[in-house]
Amino acid sequence: MIEAKNVIKKYGSVTALDDFSVEIPKGKIGILGPNGAGKSTFVKIALGLITANSGKVTVLGENLDKHSVDIRRKIGYMPEHDCIPNHMSGVEFLIEMGLVSGMDTSSATQRTHEILGHLQMGEEKYRKIEEYSGGMRQKIKLAQGLIHGPDIIFLDEPTSGLDPKARQEMLDTINGLTEISNTNVLLSTHILQDVEMVCDHVIIINNGKLQMKENVKELMKRQSDFIQVRVGGDIDGFVDILKSKEITVTTDGRILRVPYVSDQTFQQIIDAAVDNKCQLYEMERSKVTMDNIYLEVVE
Amino acid sequence: MKDKAQVSEKFAIYDAELTTRPKIVIGMGLRGFFSLLKLNKKGVWNLALIFLIYLWSIVFFVLMAGEGNVYPCEEMSSEFKYCQPIAYYGDMGLGGVRLFLVTLAAIASGGLIANDMNDKSLHLYLSRPISRLDYLIARFIPIFLLLIFVTVVPNMITFMTQWSSSGLEFDWIQNHKWLMFDIIVQGLFYSASYSIIGLTFSTLINREYRAAGAFFLFVYGTNIIVELFHLFVNDDRVLLLSIAHLLDIVSFEIYGAEYYFTSAGVLKGIELANLEIFGALTLIIGGCGLFVNWMISQMEENK
Repeated sequence: MIEAKNVIKKYGSVTALDDFSVEIPKGKIGILGPNGAGKSTFVKIALGLITANSGKVTVLGENLDKHSVDIRRKIGYMPEHDCIPNHMSGVEFLIEMGLVSGMDTSSATQRTHEILGHLQMGEEKYRKIEEYSGGMRQKIKLAQGLIHGPDIIFLDEPTSGLDPKARQEMLDTINGLTEISNTNVLLSTHILQDVEMVCDHVIIINNGKLQMKENVKELMKRQSDFIQVRVGGDIDGFVDILKSKEITVTTDGRILRVPYVSDQTFQQIIDAAVDNKCQLYEMERSKVTMDNIYLEVVE
Repeated sequence: MKDKAQVSEKFAIYDAELTTRPKIVIGMGLRGFFSLLKLNKKGVWNLALIFLIYLWSIVFFVLMAGEGNVYPCEEMSSEFKYCQPIAYYGDMGLGGVRLFLVTLAAIASGGLIANDMNDKSLHLYLSRPISRLDYLIARFIPIFLLLIFVTVVPNMITFMTQWSSSGLEFDWIQNHKWLMFDIIVQGLFYSASYSIIGLTFSTLINREYRAAGAFFLFVYGTNIIVELFHLFVNDDRVLLLSIAHLLDIVSFEIYGAEYYFTSAGVLKGIELANLEIFGALTLIIGGCGLFVNWMISQMEENK
């Protein structure tokens, strides 16, 4: 769907994307990364709004060097920040966005009402946008990105600033609208749960470089329980005893991680410590979450 | 998740037939033009000024175009020594029309880009299949059409009135074809120049009313300062620093007429080389265009 090869983008002395290469498949893709990682820069380059200093980007098979404007016929974009004119009604705004995308008036009008119907907006669609709640404004922003039936929509932090209920509704709406219209999604966010709820694949960016690209389901499988153990004395001997009992151990200094199978695992660890005559300071059951994986990758 | 059955099959398999970029741009421009003429809080000021300009044109020019008088010069004071076609059609200052024209340009252009920048909808427009230049053209069209509506059209009405007074002879049109051409070129020139300057202020000061005020002050403020300065330095080149004088000088060039201006109540002629005049014009208008383009490119890169 999107392919970037050796993309470099600099803002003065700051390098936003540093020899960045990625192949993004079709489907729903999440771009994760901390603030300033280069997510928005990549989205803007893929949208043709800004150009890279070097490298090559293709979107839906089209080279952005040659078709940076026309490619936007196939792309929808929902920016992170508030960018909706308050003086218009929801209907007027969506029709205007449809017309600016190249639709004729009747198609834009019909599609506007269909989308707003799906968003379950009744008479309020004729009210001025300034009267809308934060959640409704976000939905209108999403709708404008889908009005012209794009092949792919770029969502930049779509749940930013929403309360938990509005956030859940927004994610449901994204799933609902993109699934029925068969639209690919590129979701840029720093909220892991948003990616879990919407995306099939995730890519993690940090310091302008690709850190990880993974299938979300595969990543979820890596979420597992483990026992964190802190021991004193002969750690190597302790690890050898555990391994002889066919228990996998990962070490990080004096901290060990042992996969949790059942409560029997605790006893096996105690037995190993007794056998090796080392001190057992701490033993705690924990879970590898997407958060852990994300932090591990980013840090 | 919402009930999928609420959405029609057509929605699910929608394949938009999108029009071409020029049509999108022209469509945006025309919608912008008609929105300037809407009977709302802002539009009513535009309509009032248009009414004043047309009223002034009809009272001052059309009614004075008596039978047999090609220009109203014969009905004017003999002290008005610079009477020529430009005084009748071109000099917006003569009849006071320019005051309305600049006011209209300021009010109408103030919000064109400023509002998009202020509410950040500019980002949404630029994410559509139009380039930055397309967007600028789309925002240029409404103010340009509006200003043509109050420059070319009233002058052409006056021209037609004179033709009518001359008995609707085709020979009269033949004899005055260059005058007609000058009227159109001058109207286009004024409209384009004030539109570009208006859009520049709309971009520079992204608050509609402040942008309009700054535009007005820029045109008339520099005009007064330059005229005062001219009294001391007595160098005609300082007039090029005033956009009103500069546009008038070019306008006189279009008519092939000698430029004059009023300073401290005295009519004065000027001596300037074409290179100086068109150099200054290129610098100002070109600079405005480049500045607007740069400002918007900065907005694209930053949130």
